Amino acid sequence: MSRYIDTSSVPPDLCAVQMKAVYKKYGDFTALREVDLTVGKGETVVICGPSGSGKSTLIRCINHIEKHDDGLIYVNGVELTKGNVERVRRDTGMVFQSFNLFPHMTILQNCMLAPTTTLKMPRKEAETMVMAMLEKVHVEDQAHKFPGQLSGGQQQRVAIARALSMNPKIMLFDEPTSALDPEMVKEVLETMKRLAQEGMTMLCVTHEMGFAREVSDRVIFMNEGRIVEADKPEAFFQHPKSERARLFLSQIIH
Amino acid sequence: MQYFNAPAFVGYLGNWFLIKGVGVTIALTMAGVVGGLVVGMFVALLRMADNRPLQWIAGGYIWLFRGTPLLIQLIVIYTGLPQVGIKLGAIETALVGLILHEAAYMAEIIRSGFMSVPAGQREAGMALSLSGRTAFWRVVLPQAFRLMIPPLGNSINGLLKATSLASVISVEEIMRRSEMLMQEQFQTLEVYAAAAVYYLILTTLWDLVQRPLEKHFGRFIPTKGR
Repeated sequence: MSRYIDTSSVPPDLCAVQMKAVYKKYGDFTALREVDLTVGKGETVVICGPSGSGKSTLIRCINHIEKHDDGLIYVNGVELTKGNVERVRRDTGMVFQSFNLFPHMTILQNCMLAPTTTLKMPRKEAETMVMAMLEKVHVEDQAHKFPGQLSGGQQQRVAIARALSMNPKIMLFDEPTSALDPEMVKEVLETMKRLAQEGMTMLCVTHEMGFAREVSDRVIFMNEGRIVEADKPEAFFQHPKSERARLFLSQIIH
Repeated sequence: MQYFNAPAFVGYLGNWFLIKGVGVTIALTMAGVVGGLVVGMFVALLRMADNRPLQWIAGGYIWLFRGTPLLIQLIVIYTGLPQVGIKLGAIETALVGLILHEAAYMAEIIRSGFMSVPAGQREAGMALSLSGRTAFWRVVLPQAFRLMIPPLGNSINGLLKATSLASVISVEEIMRRSEMLMQEQFQTLEVYAAAAVYYLILTTLWDLVQRPLEKHFGRFIPTKGR
């Protein structure tokens, strides 16, 4: 039941994300080489590949946490330029591998900070909205604790709620389960799955191939800064086209 | 007269002239802390700026004021600078010297505090569309400040004792007044023991301020377990 569509020729304003010949360099090291990627609205895309292949860099370029050196990036039709960074960031939420919750604020304060400052939402309204978000990810009873008092899985779900409280149209996940104890992985993946089913546009860098198979509309395989394959999950897992992808899959699927 | 005159020692402890010196020492220290923090913050920001010449200026300042004794700095300001037309009184000299000296140390403490806040915190702020100001005041500074408290406390303890150097330029703080009292009766041991006790009381009081501060700003750190 895939929603996969080939969107490469669709104009940017009809896509959630469109990247055209994007390059990113760190000194002599080229992290992204001529990356072309189109993500349709409501699509869930999993990005995988060996470490150092540029997956994290790719999604970090989308909300301008990393600045791309060349090429074009459109987010909901808006070209990502210096002047448009704020507009693009309003449309995107991000979840990090190491959660990056603000340790000195309670869970509630973590989630209320951006809505009450950037969006100037009244505190009462923000609190009601945030509590609903926390309920959605099943951590409402932790609202008045500090992040350090929560398990890793709970912290990551809070991070998801925090990103959602800015009402983004696109969610970027940068290895959201890589720092978690094994028994915490499932609760985070379940949360992400529900989000995908609600129609959120999602780009997920992850090694969770079960999630990719079950939830994603498309799998992107990267190697040495290039997108090597992009295919429906069934096709990618059963018949990877490149030798590099075959090797990768044989090494991560036991 | 080879004995320790305990009643004289106790007398010096309650000596009003000396207690006024304690007030001067406290005032010098507080001015050094406040001025040092303001100037130090400014120097730290220059040091972290995206601009090489500004970094060099800040680095040079820190190099100079941390690399030379406070005693020389005070003497140069008080007795050397008039030669080039800059005349400062004793108190002014002490304030300027202590602040400039302390700022060099505090700049490095402030810088290390900011550098110790993980990059992910700023990235989360960016991803959440926080303004630069909000990210600084609400996210980065509170975390950096917590990390700065122990080394700042240490530096303030040092500053409190370093104010005694102002005695050489005749600022009448604890040390200078002790010398003056000593010259009246030559009860060297009794006077300076009393002075030492005053410093000990002040550093102890500072410890009592610092500890709750550390606790307050670190209250989010879980003590044990989950």
